[in-house]
Amino acid sequence: MARDCEGFSRRDFIKVGSAGLLGMTLPQLLQYEAQAQNNAQNRTTRRAQSVIMVWLAGGPATIDMWDLRPNAPEGIRGEFREIPTSAPGINICEHLPQMARVMDRTTVVRSLAHTIPSHGPATVFMTTGNRPTPAIQYPAMGSLVTRLMPAAAGVPPYVTFTELRNGSAGQAGYLGTAYNPFIVEGNPNTPQARNAPPTAAALRVRGITLPTNFTLDQLENRDRLLRTFDETFQDVDRNADLVGGLDAFHQQALEILRSDKTRNAFALDREPESLRQRYGTTPFGQGALAARRLIEAGVRFTTVSLGGWDTHGQTFNAHRTRLLPQLDQVLSALIQDLSDRGMLENTIVYCAGEFGRTPRINGNAGRDHWARSMAVVLAGGGFRRGYAHGTTDTSGMAPATEPCTPDDVCSTIFNQLGLDPHQELNTPTGRPITLFREGRVIPRLIG
Amino acid sequence: MRTASMLRIIFILIPAIAAFVVTGNRASAAVELPGGKQLERVDFERHIMGILGRAGCNSGSCHGSFQGKGGLRLSLFGFDPDKDYIAITRDSQGRRINPVDADNSLFLLKGTGQVEHGGSVRFGKGTWQYNVIRDWIAQGAPWSRGAGEVVKVAISPVELAFNKADEARQITVKATFADGSEHDITSFCDFRTNDDAVAEVSNLGMVKSLRPGGTAIVVSYRGNVLPVRVLIPMTLPAGFQYPKVPEVNYVDREIFSRLKMLNMVPSDLSSDVEFLRRVTIDTIGQLPTPEEIRAFLNDKSLDKRAKKIDQLLEHPLHASMWATKFSDITGNDTQALENPVVLKAKRSQQWHDWLRIRFQNNMPYDQLVKGILTATSRQNDTPEAWLEKLKKADAGIAAGYDTTEYAKRDSLDLYWRRQIQQPIEVWGERTAAAFLGVRVECAQCHKHPFDRWTQAEYRAYANVFASLAVGVSPEARKVIDAENTVRKGDTKNKQQINLIKEVYVGNVVKPFQHPDTGASLPAKALGGPEINMVKGQDPRVELFNWMRQPDNPFFARVLVNRLWGHYTGVGIVHPVDDFSLANPPSNEKLLAALAKDFVDHKFDFRHIERVILNSRTYQLSAKVNETNRFDKNNYAHSYIRPMMAEAVVDVLNTAFNTVEKYGPEVKPGSKAVEVGTSLFQNQQQAYVFRIFGRPQRSTACDCERAMEPALPQKLFLMTDPQILNKFNDPSGRVQTVLKANKSDNEVLDELFLATVSRFPNDRDRKAFAEQIQRAGSRREAVFDAMWALINTREFILNH
Repeated sequence: MARDCEGFSRRDFIKVGSAGLLGMTLPQLLQYEAQAQNNAQNRTTRRAQSVIMVWLAGGPATIDMWDLRPNAPEGIRGEFREIPTSAPGINICEHLPQMARVMDRTTVVRSLAHTIPSHGPATVFMTTGNRPTPAIQYPAMGSLVTRLMPAAAGVPPYVTFTELRNGSAGQAGYLGTAYNPFIVEGNPNTPQARNAPPTAAALRVRGITLPTNFTLDQLENRDRLLRTFDETFQDVDRNADLVGGLDAFHQQALEILRSDKTRNAFALDREPESLRQRYGTTPFGQGALAARRLIEAGVRFTTVSLGGWDTHGQTFNAHRTRLLPQLDQVLSALIQDLSDRGMLENTIVYCAGEFGRTPRINGNAGRDHWARSMAVVLAGGGFRRGYAHGTTDTSGMAPATEPCTPDDVCSTIFNQLGLDPHQELNTPTGRPITLFREGRVIPRLIG
Repeated sequence: MRTASMLRIIFILIPAIAAFVVTGNRASAAVELPGGKQLERVDFERHIMGILGRAGCNSGSCHGSFQGKGGLRLSLFGFDPDKDYIAITRDSQGRRINPVDADNSLFLLKGTGQVEHGGSVRFGKGTWQYNVIRDWIAQGAPWSRGAGEVVKVAISPVELAFNKADEARQITVKATFADGSEHDITSFCDFRTNDDAVAEVSNLGMVKSLRPGGTAIVVSYRGNVLPVRVLIPMTLPAGFQYPKVPEVNYVDREIFSRLKMLNMVPSDLSSDVEFLRRVTIDTIGQLPTPEEIRAFLNDKSLDKRAKKIDQLLEHPLHASMWATKFSDITGNDTQALENPVVLKAKRSQQWHDWLRIRFQNNMPYDQLVKGILTATSRQNDTPEAWLEKLKKADAGIAAGYDTTEYAKRDSLDLYWRRQIQQPIEVWGERTAAAFLGVRVECAQCHKHPFDRWTQAEYRAYANVFASLAVGVSPEARKVIDAENTVRKGDTKNKQQINLIKEVYVGNVVKPFQHPDTGASLPAKALGGPEINMVKGQDPRVELFNWMRQPDNPFFARVLVNRLWGHYTGVGIVHPVDDFSLANPPSNEKLLAALAKDFVDHKFDFRHIERVILNSRTYQLSAKVNETNRFDKNNYAHSYIRPMMAEAVVDVLNTAFNTVEKYGPEVKPGSKAVEVGTSLFQNQQQAYVFRIFGRPQRSTACDCERAMEPALPQKLFLMTDPQILNKFNDPSGRVQTVLKANKSDNEVLDELFLATVSRFPNDRDRKAFAEQIQRAGSRREAVFDAMWALINTREFILNH
């Protein structure tokens, strides 16, 4: 069979074209996955195995966080002072003192820019690495990773703590629902959970863990009955792919439910009290800790999120009192914790929001949407430590050196995962789509 | 000086002459092609381009990509020989070819992987492809422009009727070129099979039958695509007597005659419960209740199935079912509708209900499409009258869920208002997919690789919509501006004002030009006539008139195929919105007969449904027999198929006798098939829709609805609180059954009828009795049994 340079045969192309990826029979799909697994294992250049995305929903004022403009005129420069960090030459905001301590293990990209100052599409752009278009729904990075790097048995590959923009972002797009994230629920957002220390019962991934009052014994017991009831149908058509496929999924589901990997990941009380305090008792902090434990269990991509960054008014107050202290504590604890455990080398931490905020301060002491310059923070997974990439002009309006785009950053993340950012996947209509068509890997971010 | 330059010219000339002499010699020795045929003269367009195509060199992921690969850029799929000739012979300082020493041409060294090639080895040294290219280079890489222009491609045999599995046949392809000559081009074609379980094809056109069934081999030669149908009959045991199968109507006639050719015997007629369950799911997306099943079984009349079909087709939920399907087809994407946010979901409901009323009244399909395709906001109203109606319609949804005013409109202007953000070419793509069943989006950038559509046709079709506008028309400006000024004064949040916009036909704005020549491009129906753009006239009306012609190649065929695909699980053309040269119908006669019947009955939607549902074919059992167990697209038995997400939700609720709760977007008590919105505030409530594949409806493709099962669905049914809570619903079936004074057998009957629509057999009863023992209480055992039942494949699949 003739294979093209991407290792994808043209015959596959027409087959997928007429049947559709989702139209693939289940055995084919499983086979396809197994093959993808082999391919993934054959790669030796991979450094990173997994990603924790820390999403700052609403658009953080990165000009007041990672890229201050102390020399800009009043009306732009803001109220915060810079402080030096453990990375020589890199200064950040005074309200991020813990982050300053781990800056030697962190990468700041200061020259990121795009052109969409609207929450929905900008979130899609930042989380998919592709400028949104009406013609096609691009899959979120987590879904792509799910498709290209299978997770360990018994754990979900892609887990999200908060749905991005009510589930309108962070989804699988043209890859199909099978690659959507698994959602954490029963989370410590509830008042009861907030007062009590979060426990294993406070968090669970929807569908992955048995609810309280449903024991494993009960499950096995019911499953036995189910097998008998289902025998009659077995005789109808043994050839039907659907029948065999559903059986395969049934087995997998049981395997997941029997496995205690995911459940254990939420048993936060197994962590030393001191560490839990370091993350803090907020839902965001406990979520980040759970995210680390999920990654340990074999999850590939997980998203934790902190909202409230859309500060059109009183931005400095909000950042000083509410936003920055929380982010500072949690993000630094996460980086330090991963580093202490030797996990930072193969875990990428990516902290971003959909855009930055206007350098010019508005009449309500706020900043509005600004996509033309923004900063994001990365750590681990082979990203260059203690490094600030690119600069913005004096007033922070636009990148001055080394401008880059969301496509570039996503490409570089995928490169670090050992995945070719320019490989193609087919849509259900058989159209081949490059993962990040406009993206270039940024070599200086690596190493 | 002069001598020196003379010498240089001589030095240059000598190798050239030598090359000429060499080629002179070689030209007489023809290149041998596979199968021993001789190629007398290698032609760049006919042969070299053919090899580049079939070896994948000019595909999008290789040199055909926009940036090229490794410095060589070829036209995508080889549609531009001029560019490719220059790229191969001139670019890179001409290093790619070396007529003096052809074997040392970079072109060959790369293709054979002798020097490093990102695309690895495309063909080996000394293979026929190698020899053809080598010969061409040695001749000095000649090119006669246009020599490869194809007038006609003919394939023999036209259809491959095998006697049994495990036979081999060769396909021969001949092309007639512009100069009138005819040549065998078999070796230069690309061959693919549409079903590699049924037949496989070598890259030289040798077809091997693998398993009984039907499929097509798709032959393409430089953009010319032709299918060859393949038929492989079952080998029947000696002395097997093919039975006489009764036919109800022409559907059975076409299906059964084909099955006879395949030596496949249709399965038996389905049992009453099997039929009732299937037809209820298919027509109204619900399960029959235990009472309905009992009543149907007790009905002894001979025409009870036909009566049940009529009854279900009249059912209000049947209209909702098709409103849901057509919400997909027409792209009822809540997210894309106009602000304010609070009205978005309700507008989707207006859309859904506008469709529903029409399906309920069985409006002729062409009139339905007319109301969508040629919609304007004002229709024939004065601006003032329109504004009054609009306010009334908006008031209905602002206060509650009243969509009657909108549904009264003749036309669905939301279809176009939803497209505000889209460029006109997307309008072309959407209408083509929805009403013509063709996917033209490839042709936005290049000729469609597996279909007939060119960029010029794509653009000419988009031009039909060049005068359509969404905004404020000059005639209505005064009235609308006045109203909008008032509304703007009302609120600070500009995003959330309900500003009035209208869909209207205005002036032609920036029509597309010809992609190559830049000439102006008249508006043209897709594969149809030119459409006049006359000021003051709506070109979409002319487009519609072309669509509804009885001989339109798509309009009726696409709709009957959608109906067929819905009711059997597999389209005659499958997927149902992919009518293309590379995807021929599995049963052309049936498709043609259904389309003719549809046209003859003035596009009577329900008439075709009745024909399909009353056919014996539809009512066959899902249980296979020895002769038809391999069948996947000849309809020898009913196909086991997944249910659509809305049906899953409703079926679960029918089984549990519970009511689903949605957010504020949805009228309380609605069935899932009645829900218009594709966006929910509360994702927890919409979770089930999402995991079972209800689409956002953002693209123009049926494939956006995911019908394939996935792991989360299984986990949802096993563990999700949303399901587990239904067990404890005080008015739900489980609790009611427990409270009723019923024997164990009666309880189990009730649970089985409510879920898998049949009575339990002895094995089931025995297992339940054991479960009561094990669980220690009937209550526990009833929970266990209900849980087990909704997790069976028999429950979650339609069959």
